[in-house]
Amino acid sequence: MAHLTWDDTGSRLYETGVDHGVLYIPDGSGDYTDGVAWNGLTTVTESPSGAEATALFADNIKYLDLRSAETFGATIEAYTYPDEFLQFDGVASPVAGVHVGQQSRSTFGFCYRTRLGNDVGGSDYGYKLHLIYGATAAPSEKAYATINDSPEAITFSWEIATTPVNAGGSLTPTAQLIIDSTKVDSGDLQTLEDLLYGQAGDPQMPSPADVIAIFEAGLTSVNMGAGANQPTYNTGTHVVTLPSVTGVVWKINGVTKTAGAQTAMTTGQTSTVEATPASGYVLTGDTDWVFTY
Amino acid sequence: MGLAQRLLLHEALVDLLGTTNVYFQPPPDFQMTYPCIVYSRDDQSVKRGDNVAYNVRQRYQVTYIDKNPDGDSIDALAEFPLSAFSRHFVTSGLNHDVFSIYY
Repeated sequence: MAHLTWDDTGSRLYETGVDHGVLYIPDGSGDYTDGVAWNGLTTVTESPSGAEATALFADNIKYLDLRSAETFGATIEAYTYPDEFLQFDGVASPVAGVHVGQQSRSTFGFCYRTRLGNDVGGSDYGYKLHLIYGATAAPSEKAYATINDSPEAITFSWEIATTPVNAGGSLTPTAQLIIDSTKVDSGDLQTLEDLLYGQAGDPQMPSPADVIAIFEAGLTSVNMGAGANQPTYNTGTHVVTLPSVTGVVWKINGVTKTAGAQTAMTTGQTSTVEATPASGYVLTGDTDWVFTY
Repeated sequence: MGLAQRLLLHEALVDLLGTTNVYFQPPPDFQMTYPCIVYSRDDQSVKRGDNVAYNVRQRYQVTYIDKNPDGDSIDALAEFPLSAFSRHFVTSGLNHDVFSIYY
């Protein structure tokens, strides 16, 4: 039997810091295909709730505890927010620069990074990537105050609630994934970060099942830079043709389409074609095209 | 960026005083002409975000020196954004009004 020891060199671990915030905007089918950097992140407070115990009694004893479902919530604090976040904060922009409040709030994805430190490597020992799915933001207070004799900046704060998404396999649906850089394969981690931060095409947040697949067996890469893998637009017939590419799910204006010639466009119509990866695949290169009649 | 920002403050102080008698950290034996403004780096305010210094602002100690205790520039210095009056004292017949200004 192994002899237990405490606080050995290299095992004095701690967690600190928060950075690399990314907001992910879902497309029409709920895939997080468009990421934007979130600057000035100061705090992310994770606040899981639920999982409350209900005691059951039988045979004149406490027989067992039944626990309710656990839900994930958090509070994001930052000095600023990306313009794209406004739509998730109940603000619509019917005209550029004009913001209309009290609109509906839709779901978004969020990713951030925290540091892992130890007594040897300091705060650069490793890091954890936190992926949040199905988040909605509650209205929050913004206290604008006069400039006084000391420089102050408003710290915005948003309380978010989440709806779990399918995690694949036998796992219960989840809204939170955490990847520990000190435990996973560095190549697989690079693949995930390339997706999250847009090193391989547009920044996107893969589904929990796809993230797990990256670290289980790896994803099959599809090069969207190859001409044969790209959609074409016939300026004579105004027809967009989507090639049949294994591992690619095509969407036009957010609606999933099958490969082949699409319905001819009409005058003034714009088709935004987007290639999204099927489960188990990763796309590299540009993944969206805009055709206008 | 720090230098450029300080030069902007210098320009603003020259405009405020109406003369070029504005001195940044002058040496002890420097011969000054009054009324004048003497200023020096004092402190800095650092706002942190994304694990970095997200916003840094310098604070300067700005001293208005004048034989006249009711010099015109005192109110103007108090009206600077992020300005706070610190103290007043008289030395060698010269009135000193000290402000802390973030710029």
